[in-house]
Amino acid sequence: MKVNLYLNKRVAIIGAGLTLFRRRLLETPQEIAWEAASKALEEAGLELKDIDCVVIGSAPDAFDGVHLKGEYLSHGSGGIRKPVSRVYVGGATGVMTAIAGWYHVASGLCQKVLAVAEEKMSPARPHPQSVFKYIWDPILEKPLNPNLIWIFAMEMHRYMSKYGIKKEEIALVSVKNKRNALNNPYAQLGANITVDDVLNSEVLVWPVQLLDVSPVSDGGAAIVLASEDVARRYTDTPVWVEGVGWTLDNTEWPARDLSYARYVEFAARMAYKIAGIERPNKEIDVVEPYDPFDYKELHHLEALQLAKRGEAPTLLKEGVFDIDGDIPSSPSGGLLGVGNPIAAAGLMKVISIYWQLKGTAGKMQVKRPVHTGLAQAWGDLMQAGTVIVLRN
Amino acid sequence: MSWDKSIKESVKWYDNMEVEKYEYTVGPAGEEFFKGLKQGKIIGCKCSKCGKIYIPARAYCENCFAKIDNYVEIKKEEAYVDSYTIIYKDDEGRQLDKPIYIAMIRFPNTVGGLLCYAEGNVRVGGKAKITSFDWPLRVIVE
Repeated sequence: MKVNLYLNKRVAIIGAGLTLFRRRLLETPQEIAWEAASKALEEAGLELKDIDCVVIGSAPDAFDGVHLKGEYLSHGSGGIRKPVSRVYVGGATGVMTAIAGWYHVASGLCQKVLAVAEEKMSPARPHPQSVFKYIWDPILEKPLNPNLIWIFAMEMHRYMSKYGIKKEEIALVSVKNKRNALNNPYAQLGANITVDDVLNSEVLVWPVQLLDVSPVSDGGAAIVLASEDVARRYTDTPVWVEGVGWTLDNTEWPARDLSYARYVEFAARMAYKIAGIERPNKEIDVVEPYDPFDYKELHHLEALQLAKRGEAPTLLKEGVFDIDGDIPSSPSGGLLGVGNPIAAAGLMKVISIYWQLKGTAGKMQVKRPVHTGLAQAWGDLMQAGTVIVLRN
Repeated sequence: MSWDKSIKESVKWYDNMEVEKYEYTVGPAGEEFFKGLKQGKIIGCKCSKCGKIYIPARAYCENCFAKIDNYVEIKKEEAYVDSYTIIYKDDEGRQLDKPIYIAMIRFPNTVGGLLCYAEGNVRVGGKAKITSFDWPLRVIVE
């Protein structure tokens, strides 16, 4: 893979804000976006008038039930009478929002960018899953009435059978992430559960059970990105964006190897190349891989080259990905523990790494010193991969 | 391939893409506004930083981004028609028995406006009296 990138400016994150992740928040989508955005500005020490442009990330309009959702959200995102752009690559949107904020600054176009992601999953009835009716090939797939859980069940099953992985090995991800979420003040589903709890939970679509899956959530997340000269004026502890990568594969998911997330590998290789990382498993200190399902975290750790193919479950069992392990994974609690307001969940992962590297993650802070971290999201029809590497 | 030649012979598939319904929340500021309507009041809010008064009430100021929780009652008798339009046909294109007037009413020195059904001598700048506080509002223009 070849990446030709000519960077004009070094970019830092200097502020971040999150709302609570909850089912059925009372606030409107605009108010959720505003809460996250105003907290990010506050942490950065900036006011809205200081911001040059705004980037908004949000997944399908049909979640919040408002078309032109980027335009609708710009009101609460500080985008009124400013250059605004919206990015949307399904579940991969959250990290893409940070990447889009990054390229506005890296290109030299803007100095201070506010990047906001919001999702309100709860308005659709009977269930937000019905929103996904819109995403399939209308002729080849839709007549079977697929939903996301069952196509990922297909992927999970393929991953399990290819490498001989057992359900109890995968369930450990859910146990770890919900436990980590107990330390996260924004989290919806922090809990001390056991592998047996996961294995005894309701079967949704075999082999996916209730505790294998992240919940339906509403929430917002925002960051402020700035060029190096500006960042140094506002903070002594900027966290640098060292590498970014994003890849979109064909939507024809039946043509793909379901046991391996190739598009995430491509995105990761792009980010590693920009960041100058040659041995990711030695150089990445903390990671937030995208975990809407428990097997996805393992899948993504492999695609990110942090474990060999099929070996992530073994490393997990050995404690490598625990909060006090060699490469703590999802110290925030991930989507399984914190919640999954799609775009906001991806940006939450970036914010988690930013706070870890800044040393302000509070009870979530991993034990050993960390200098290089990675956040990743994934989405669409097993198709989009987005990766960001940060350093302090 | 022309439309009329190909369309008859081509393979087609029919389906729909509807979510059953949506349950929207109006938010904390929206609740103040709608509670006010029930008492025959128009509730706005005043930004304590820049002093702008917004209608309907909202949770934050779009201008300076400050949180707003200072709700104020707007003098409803000062409402005036900012603009209006006349609807002659329904969504299906059928002629209506009686045209519908939709007016945007505003209040002096405030930001925002409300869309309502209007009757009377509807004209730009006309004084609007709110006759029904059920949503959407109805006004009669003097």
